[in-house]
Amino acid sequence: MRRWLDIARLRLRSLLRRRRVEEELDKELRFHLDRQTEEYAAAGMARDEARNAALRTLGGLTFIEEQCRDMRRTNWIENCWSDLHYALRSLGKSPGFAAVIVLTLALSIGANSAIFSVIHGVLLRHLPYTQQDRIVRFFLSNANFPKFPVNPFDFLDFRARNRSFGSMAIMSRSDLQLSGLGVPQRLTGFRVSAGYFRVLGMRPLRGREFDTSDEMPGKQHVAIVSEPLWRSRFAGDPNILGRKIFLEGLPYTIVGVMPAEMQHPGNEYRPVAYGNTVDVWWPFTFEGNPNQRGSHYTEGIGRLKPDVSPEKAREEMNAIMAQLGREHPGDVGWRVLVVPLYREIVGASQRMLLVLLGAVGLVLLIACANVANLLLARATSRRREMAVRLALGASRERLIRQMLTESALIAVVGAAAGAGIAIFGVQALVAMLPAGFPRAHEIHVNLAMFAFTLATALATGMLFGLVPALQASRIDPQQNLREGARGATASAGHLRLRNCLVVSEVGLACVLLIGAGLMLRSFVNLLRTDPGFRPEHVFTAAISLPEESYKSGTQMIAFYDKAVDSLSALPSVKAAGLGSDVPWTGYDDNLGGFAIEGKQPRPNQEFHARYHTATPDYFRALGIPLVRGRFFTPADDLKAPAVLIVNRAMSERYWPGENVVGKRVNFDDPPKDSEWVTIAGVVGDVKDTPEKPAAEPAFWWPLRQTPFGFPQMMITIRAASDPAPLVASVRDAVHRLDPSIAVADVHLMDSIADASVSTPRFTLFLVGLFACLAITLAAIGTYGVISYSVNQRTHEFGMRAALGAQPWDVLRLVLGQGLRLAVGGMLIGVACALVLGRVLRSLLYEVSATDPLTFALVPLAALAVALLACYLPARRATRTDPAVALRTE
Amino acid sequence: MSRPSDLIQGTLDLLILKTVSIEPQHGWAIAKRIEQVSRDVLQVTQGALYPALHRLEQQGWLRAEWRASETGREAKFYALTRAGRAQLERELAQWERLSNAVGLVIRSELGAS
Repeated sequence: MRRWLDIARLRLRSLLRRRRVEEELDKELRFHLDRQTEEYAAAGMARDEARNAALRTLGGLTFIEEQCRDMRRTNWIENCWSDLHYALRSLGKSPGFAAVIVLTLALSIGANSAIFSVIHGVLLRHLPYTQQDRIVRFFLSNANFPKFPVNPFDFLDFRARNRSFGSMAIMSRSDLQLSGLGVPQRLTGFRVSAGYFRVLGMRPLRGREFDTSDEMPGKQHVAIVSEPLWRSRFAGDPNILGRKIFLEGLPYTIVGVMPAEMQHPGNEYRPVAYGNTVDVWWPFTFEGNPNQRGSHYTEGIGRLKPDVSPEKAREEMNAIMAQLGREHPGDVGWRVLVVPLYREIVGASQRMLLVLLGAVGLVLLIACANVANLLLARATSRRREMAVRLALGASRERLIRQMLTESALIAVVGAAAGAGIAIFGVQALVAMLPAGFPRAHEIHVNLAMFAFTLATALATGMLFGLVPALQASRIDPQQNLREGARGATASAGHLRLRNCLVVSEVGLACVLLIGAGLMLRSFVNLLRTDPGFRPEHVFTAAISLPEESYKSGTQMIAFYDKAVDSLSALPSVKAAGLGSDVPWTGYDDNLGGFAIEGKQPRPNQEFHARYHTATPDYFRALGIPLVRGRFFTPADDLKAPAVLIVNRAMSERYWPGENVVGKRVNFDDPPKDSEWVTIAGVVGDVKDTPEKPAAEPAFWWPLRQTPFGFPQMMITIRAASDPAPLVASVRDAVHRLDPSIAVADVHLMDSIADASVSTPRFTLFLVGLFACLAITLAAIGTYGVISYSVNQRTHEFGMRAALGAQPWDVLRLVLGQGLRLAVGGMLIGVACALVLGRVLRSLLYEVSATDPLTFALVPLAALAVALLACYLPARRATRTDPAVALRTE
Repeated sequence: MSRPSDLIQGTLDLLILKTVSIEPQHGWAIAKRIEQVSRDVLQVTQGALYPALHRLEQQGWLRAEWRASETGREAKFYALTRAGRAQLERELAQWERLSNAVGLVIRSELGAS
């Protein structure tokens, strides 16, 4: 124990009282020397001779001092310090060089850290639910519909029969209109079955969650509100529990408040993004005939019991589904899909984020190669310095350490600048993220990002520092000091190494450029895709009729008629319509089954299509073209014969090659003779989202003939010019008709169309940015090597010029050298891109991952850039003045 | 002049510890003492002596102190610490084992020839 205290005291003393310790060392050795000298003198030597002899016995005073210092074990700290000092001084001597390197690193490390932050927030951080890995979503699935909502009565059977789940629930989006508190407000709402919050592991802040008694139809209405809504609309009322509020004009009793941490897990149909996005929950009630298993509109979520894997749960659920198929004809042919919640939330963005990480990682590699290259060039010009230090007794390890310290210093400075770039980068990225990107609000600049930055910096420092360090340590002082007079020359191996670095830089940049090229083509394809409607000057908004005052379909239709009339009458409105949906805003997998006159469906392949409703001018307002037949007219009401408009996809699916106008379908099962509906027209297809391969079959009822009421409707208005000023007058018009109705979700169709391509645009922008960075770095690298080699060959070029070579010959010589490197890199890059392209496949739209055009053009572009980078030094070579060149020897 | 390899590796430590175990000494005196006691057979390389002293000090076996030497000039005196004395015992035992073992080998070879 005492011994360790002694040791610690000594170490501290060596570090903190360095001068004192040094003086003592000096004094101690001087004492020895003097005593030895005296002894020799006493033995009869002359004074000087005795002194020299004494010095000889010690064998090199400096050497011993150095050895004694080594014994202090604090040397490495002191060495590091002096290395750092030296590194700063030597970098300060070439500020341009240092700036290029630091900038290169700052940009690439900054980009990496920014992307890492996004990945950390979106992919790495746990979801806020307890034991999130046990939460799964479940859907139905069959050959036509890979991911389909669940029938509520099927859910009841699942819940009663399964053993895999600790709890399970269903949810269904059902927005509500809050009234009676000033201006009516549309609330984002979900109907959820009992135990929904238990599945997510969330407890109410106040009150209770729903239990099975709330699922009974006909009970008094209850609701749970979110903490943000409670605070904003109810001013955080402490007596909120039991308070009555008016939703859809009906009184609801508030039984609970969910804390702000309650993140909506995201959903698929009429989707609401993951996050703090839901205002109100109300109980799902199981009404109607429990044998009716045909309608699917709820989404399942469940918490697995411990030790039950999603696969095992799926097997059990499939077994239950098979039982149900034997009990109910409507349940035949379905399988159950069980997806971990995490994958459901971030799965779609995972691939894209990993591609971005890969891209930005390649940039970092190129930056490392580039910095290594620059350091190598510098190492060559510092050979003489290294040789002198070796000759003066520096050990090779010491030289390596010195070089590595320099690299680490560069890396750390680069990382510090990079962290600054990353802080802005993260904010820019979050602002640029596509709307509805999962967990976007969980992306922050945080400690993890700085740790990542530091780790990256040190790793890159080692990576780009090791090569020049090892090179430098292999210097033979004798040879170099002799050569020194002629100016430093690089060995063949050295040059080969630098060439390799340039080839790999060009190769990696090629990979990125090809990736960016593929994405660009895919994006252009997306933009060129005919959306099926014309979004210019169109705006849409949602209205919802409160149940209380609009009980029957007739009442609703009466209101809609008045609304269309007054909207159409507004100045500068070219067409105003109402429809149950607008394109590209998410969809509801509502499937209407029907019979077709004169056709028999194959078993399990019943005729069905998405059903919608629309007023006559809906199609004109959105600019959906008429293909055949006619649009609806105001005359298509209950007194007139029943008609239908179908889309092209539906006509081609069920009547291939036939004229579908005049064909008849029937929505009753079995078909009733009186109820045949005639197809009046065919309209163009609109896909669910632009990147979907094809549109789904769909049809529209005229609003006046709908078989049931649609309490929620989208207003679609085409204006003569900019529609933005119209929004206020539309609100006024609706308000004049019924002040209790809110006009919500106002969107310009332009911006909806724009948002629908925002994810590919985001990816393209970033990959493109990284590719530009990559090719710039590769160009700098090529320029560096060629320019260096031109300097080395000044003598040769002078000689050639003196012997009569034309400038063109010299130019060709230099460009040829660059071309060889570039072509080598290009070939490697193309080969890598062919292999790596596969990861992009799912992100590409109508472009093959081995698109010949991209693979032909992009490498040529890379080649052109590389040649351009060689051109500057090449031109300098042609200007070599033979007289000057030869004299420098 | 002897070179470091002339002293068996590690023996220098033993000799130093033993020498200062008698009384605190400065470097020069330690070297002289070893030479005298060994009747000039063991020549301590002075180049190796000081690094060894500093190492033993840093390891906590020796404690150094500046005080007046026999000539009146200040010198750095090294003394054995408690831990150093224990270390000396260990090194001595080690040395006994080693020299016995070497002795056995040498004698058996002599007997064989």
